[in-house]
Amino acid sequence: MTVGSQVKGCYSSIKSIEASLGVLSNKTQNIDSKQALEHTEQLIKEIKNDLQKQVVLLSKQEPQYK
Amino acid sequence: MPEWIIVLLRSLTLIAFLFFLTKWLGSKHLSQLNSFEYISGIVLGSVAAIHTVNPDTNFSYAFIAMVVWFIVPFGVEKIALKSKAFRDFTEGKGVVFIQDGKIMEDNLKKEGYSTDDLLEKLRNNNIFLASDVEFAVLEPNGSLSVLPKRESRPLTAKDLGIKLAPTKEPQTVVMDGNVLLEPLANLSLNTNWLETELDKMNVSIENVFLAQADSDGQLTVDLYDDMIAVPAPTEKPLLLATMKKCQADLELFALSTENPESKEMYQRNSKKLQSAIATISSYLN
Repeated sequence: MTVGSQVKGCYSSIKSIEASLGVLSNKTQNIDSKQALEHTEQLIKEIKNDLQKQVVLLSKQEPQYK
Repeated sequence: MPEWIIVLLRSLTLIAFLFFLTKWLGSKHLSQLNSFEYISGIVLGSVAAIHTVNPDTNFSYAFIAMVVWFIVPFGVEKIALKSKAFRDFTEGKGVVFIQDGKIMEDNLKKEGYSTDDLLEKLRNNNIFLASDVEFAVLEPNGSLSVLPKRESRPLTAKDLGIKLAPTKEPQTVVMDGNVLLEPLANLSLNTNWLETELDKMNVSIENVFLAQADSDGQLTVDLYDDMIAVPAPTEKPLLLATMKKCQADLELFALSTENPESKEMYQRNSKKLQSAIATISSYLN
């Protein structure tokens, strides 16, 4: 497993976390939980953007594994 | 008219009458009645009993007596609702038995409570050592309310400084195999959602005896067929576990990379994810 595919795996996990948080924050009836979930979703989104850049960077560095 | 028919008719009328009187008198729990309400309740019952089994009595007297014994307690109750002084007079006041950890012997004697009675009341409150009590008051209905000393009180999340996610009451959405629409609507969910969730668990609605959903939309079910194991809700624990795994992955990447920019990026995001886990973990348990 190359570094690129490992980071890609982590990136997709982060995406799934973001989606689950979105589902939960929509389902919950509680304003406090909703706020906490939305705040966390925002953090995860920032991480996701960073990782996406890293995935692109790594795919440029490891063109032979594409 | 034979007497037994009279008894039958009287019984039925008085049962109906008594039923409505007690309804109007309010639904105060029996143990909360003060002695006056208790006695008037007994009198109402006895008047009904006497006039039921004794056909010689004048039946209209039963109504007069019962109306009087209804109106007076009813009026007293209504006035007591408005006036604090009147309430203290009719319902009585609490008597302090223990203050600042010290037993008030005079008050005990005034209420006719022996030391054994006091200890018994404390034991009813799960307190076996009188010195564990900070404050205790005898309520007008005869029960003892006890405030234990700070160190003897049960530990709460507040004492430990743990932040807990607020929870609301769960709603029962399926009862005896029938979907209840109103509780579902209270959670702003619909029958489609219920069918999807049951499909995920691989159970059919006919097999569901009871299903409840909490305010986060997690469904727990009990089936008629007790041989089938139902999976516990995994959505939230799974999410928390995935977040922890990703955080560990990011740390690993930060350690293994030699590119300083990437290292810094991984570390920054790992920290971010760590703080996200810290905020969310109480909501995901």
